[in-house]
Amino acid sequence: MTGPGEPAGSGALRRTSPRIVLVHTATFRQARQLVPIAIPALAGIGLGGGRWTVVALVVVITLVSLATAALSWWRFSYLDGPGAVVVTRGLVSRSTRTVPNDRIRGVEVEAPPMHRLLGLVRVRIDAAAGGAGSAGRASATDDEVLIDGVPREEGDRLRTAVLTKRNRLPAVGPDTPDPGPGTAPAPEEPEEEFARFDNRWLLYAPLVGGYLAVPLAGLGVLSRIVDELPDGLLPDVDGESVNTPGFALAAAVLGLVLLAVGAVIGAAVVNWRFRLVRRGGSLIAVRGLLTRRHTELEIDRIRGVAVADGAGMRLVGAARVNGLVTGLGDAQRRGQLLPLGPRALAEALGRRLVEDPGPLVLHPAAARRRRIARAVTGGLLVTAAGAVLTVTEGWWPLLLAGVVLTVLGVPLGLGRYASLGHATGPRSFALRVGWLVRERAVLERRAVVGWEVRQSWFQRRAGLASVVACVGAGRGGYIALDMAADDVAGFAVAASEPWAEQLVPARRTAGGTETNRSRSEE
Amino acid sequence: MTAVSSPVREPAWSLPRSAIGLWLTESLISVLMMGVGLGIFLIWVPADSGGPVPVLRWLVPIAVALYAVVALAVRPWFKHRTYRWEVTGEVAYTRTGWLSQTWTLVPISRIQTVDVTRGLLQQMFGLATVAVFTASSQGTVRIWHLEHGMAQRVADDLAARAERTRDQAT
Repeated sequence: MTGPGEPAGSGALRRTSPRIVLVHTATFRQARQLVPIAIPALAGIGLGGGRWTVVALVVVITLVSLATAALSWWRFSYLDGPGAVVVTRGLVSRSTRTVPNDRIRGVEVEAPPMHRLLGLVRVRIDAAAGGAGSAGRASATDDEVLIDGVPREEGDRLRTAVLTKRNRLPAVGPDTPDPGPGTAPAPEEPEEEFARFDNRWLLYAPLVGGYLAVPLAGLGVLSRIVDELPDGLLPDVDGESVNTPGFALAAAVLGLVLLAVGAVIGAAVVNWRFRLVRRGGSLIAVRGLLTRRHTELEIDRIRGVAVADGAGMRLVGAARVNGLVTGLGDAQRRGQLLPLGPRALAEALGRRLVEDPGPLVLHPAAARRRRIARAVTGGLLVTAAGAVLTVTEGWWPLLLAGVVLTVLGVPLGLGRYASLGHATGPRSFALRVGWLVRERAVLERRAVVGWEVRQSWFQRRAGLASVVACVGAGRGGYIALDMAADDVAGFAVAASEPWAEQLVPARRTAGGTETNRSRSEE
Repeated sequence: MTAVSSPVREPAWSLPRSAIGLWLTESLISVLMMGVGLGIFLIWVPADSGGPVPVLRWLVPIAVALYAVVALAVRPWFKHRTYRWEVTGEVAYTRTGWLSQTWTLVPISRIQTVDVTRGLLQQMFGLATVAVFTASSQGTVRIWHLEHGMAQRVADDLAARAERTRDQAT
């Protein structure tokens, strides 16, 4: 149904599979948008009660969903031409999006459960927004093209077609810094396996915050359902037995076991048969039990890696690796190179992608004092409030809580201090920060697009400063907390390109002895 | 403030004096808002209501008065001393803040866009802000309160030079 106004491409105009209409009807994908209109309309008309009204409502809603799904399928077409991907859609007003191949940063093929039943996949094409519009913004939805519901083979064809066309282009821009070894365009490269998920690693999941959140959310939903149920349906629990300490203990243990099992199941669903392979110039990550995800990242765009190990993960020696890729939307999820695994393997994977800058340099003693001071401040405030309450009202529990918090603050501060560190190497540098979620980011020198140096009044008194390396990848900025103030300029110069010398104070001779002294403190 | 040497080089140029007028106006507006809030608190919260109210009736006005003195008599001039900027052949560089200070450096080769914005108050004082964006959401240099003509010239110059030296490594 190519209209006369359609863009003229050399490739054939393609359509998604009609089977997708079924999926969208069942999931109300398009009909969902009508809900805000439908509710006031229904309220206006008014509905009599009774079974027939409900049946009629269900039929009408399904028909509306079917109609909208069919309509949007009918109006959707795409085309992967030699120079660009063109997507045309829209019910009333037609919109055409053209994404030039050199702007495509990655392709993700995912297969949610319903798609898999019907042999369909969803292709997400990640595009860098045009130069002027993209500044400082990291919105993901704007910069991606979604082609929902093509057969699996067509998805694979589209992915390789788009990526190989892009790679075959001549070097983008006037001065591509180094072509790198991974730009070979040949589509049938031998695969090299970087990592493969071992199911034993699922046992780490109960110690990872993110996976624990899944069963907790489930628990929340469950408790709400129990609240809604009529009393007659709930088991009749004898009040006497509930109040014994044995029962409370059993309930707590059962709860913890359920939480752990839930975390393991959650991790298994997301990471099932995870594999990371290198094919030509791309890293390909495949994972998922119900929804199979296939993410492709260009090795040339990897500017660094972040190895994260939370407090719980450190207990068992587990870690997670994220790739820091320029121009990647939804980087936290798509950049995952190893979702969960032994620390040694994570470190080795990181070293394979970015040169290791060597062991971290600890931060000066003043940084330890500052971490402890900050960690106990909250506890001291509670203690002060508790002291006032104890004197005026005679209510002491708050005072006790305050003292406990203050005492706990000391090991927390020490732990946070022990995490701090930075290192510079010939081609890369590293920063580490955090205690509950500790993250060590290793970045290439060329990744840095700016420096931000922050110094609060307290930091100035202590001779400290924090430095943020601004990069166009990952979170956008990586901080080195509480460095010795005199080391800041030297670190910036060693960790980025020559322009950073603009940060070096003019009278470097006066600062030289200072720097040596603060180094010896470490 | 104690005179401890700063961790990095200071940018060379200071802002026009009219920025002090702008900061003073901003302080005045915030003090007036707080004054209105204080008035509402003193009039509508009865003095004999229990809890901490009798103490607060003393503490809050004192805090507001202290804030007013600092905001009107000290802060604008302090800010004029700390806010500095510089554009060299290679970089755009600023220092902002007053108690807590921030230095931001961006190389011209990594600039993606340059914006000039003029707020309502800024227009009254003939000032404008130049914002320099990079591929990083955190690497944004904002040169506050330049004279409008100057801001426009700086922005045009930066944009033109960024176009020539753009570098694809980001």
